[in-house]
Amino acid sequence: MCSPFALFALLPVQITDTLYNAFFRRNSVFVSTVFVGAFAFSLGFDTAINRVWDNWNKGKQWKDIRAKYVAPAGGADE
Amino acid sequence: MALPIRAASFKPYNLAVTTRSLPSGVPIAPGISLYAKGYGDHGHGHGHGGASRSDAAPSWASGMRLGGSKFESKTVMNAPASRGVHTSSKAPLPSPSPYAVPDWSHYKTENTSTNRAISYFMVGTMGVLGASAAKSTITDFLATMAASADVLALAKVEVSMSSIPLAKNVIIKWRGKPVFIRHRTEDEIKEARSVDIKTLRDPQTDEDRVKRPEWLVMLGVCTHLGCVPIGESGDYGGWFCPCHGSHYDISGRARKGPAPLNLEIPPYDFDDPDDKIVVG
Repeated sequence: MCSPFALFALLPVQITDTLYNAFFRRNSVFVSTVFVGAFAFSLGFDTAINRVWDNWNKGKQWKDIRAKYVAPAGGADE
Repeated sequence: MALPIRAASFKPYNLAVTTRSLPSGVPIAPGISLYAKGYGDHGHGHGHGGASRSDAAPSWASGMRLGGSKFESKTVMNAPASRGVHTSSKAPLPSPSPYAVPDWSHYKTENTSTNRAISYFMVGTMGVLGASAAKSTITDFLATMAASADVLALAKVEVSMSSIPLAKNVIIKWRGKPVFIRHRTEDEIKEARSVDIKTLRDPQTDEDRVKRPEWLVMLGVCTHLGCVPIGESGDYGGWFCPCHGSHYDISGRARKGPAPLNLEIPPYDFDDPDDKIVVG
């Protein structure tokens, strides 16, 4: 039983019923939940992927090496 | 092989009469092979492959052999039967018909609620992923229609604030048009704010026209016919258009002459960390 549904199988009937009644019963609620979930998912996904990218390219991006080339404060232009 | 004798064959054979009787009356049957091959046996029992038939009675229990001209058959009556045979009159249970519907009730769940939740959960998850993918696809597609970074970079002009001393005008070019930037003094600010806007042709307070009172940023195009006004001139200490004589005050508002409107204010912002004004 290493399937992810094992988690569901562990849930008592009351919880799955509550889940059903809360989200799945009415299509309007179901669809809205899906859209809100998609919004949250894409936000989280983008954040996570960007973090991975920045971590992978640490020390190579302009924002990492800007301090070496741009004099901090003072603003003595160019 | 004289005769094909196979145990697995259920075909009846009618053996031709090959026996004859000796004068003494003993039957003689030359040429009969009494050797029945087992399954997978290839005829010479030296041990490899071909298990001996399990349903054959052991040789000590029964057997037949040709001895000289005699055909002997031996059966020990108390030998254990090696083949199960129903001897009762009761027929065995019929095997189920191959066309009958099997009994699946064993597989039926007793927890429909969980299964329903799983099904809808999978549908919903698919929907979430699909909607998310569709949204990014459309967003990326629309992003291809937006101005690219190089175009956007050209659309902005940066001016260093520290390069403009107090009470000085700077004219820069922004999108093909001149932009006036004036570093105003306290007196000029006071003067611009003391005007009663009810007397103006295009009533606008100085507060509405500047983001920071000391910095006045406006488009240097006369609102009359589009000439470029001259700075620090005119009756009101601001700008004067030489083409048709429009006067603008120190806040860039039309005060005299044919100009119908105040000088336009472009979008601009202050970039304090870099000490710059960004027009555009």
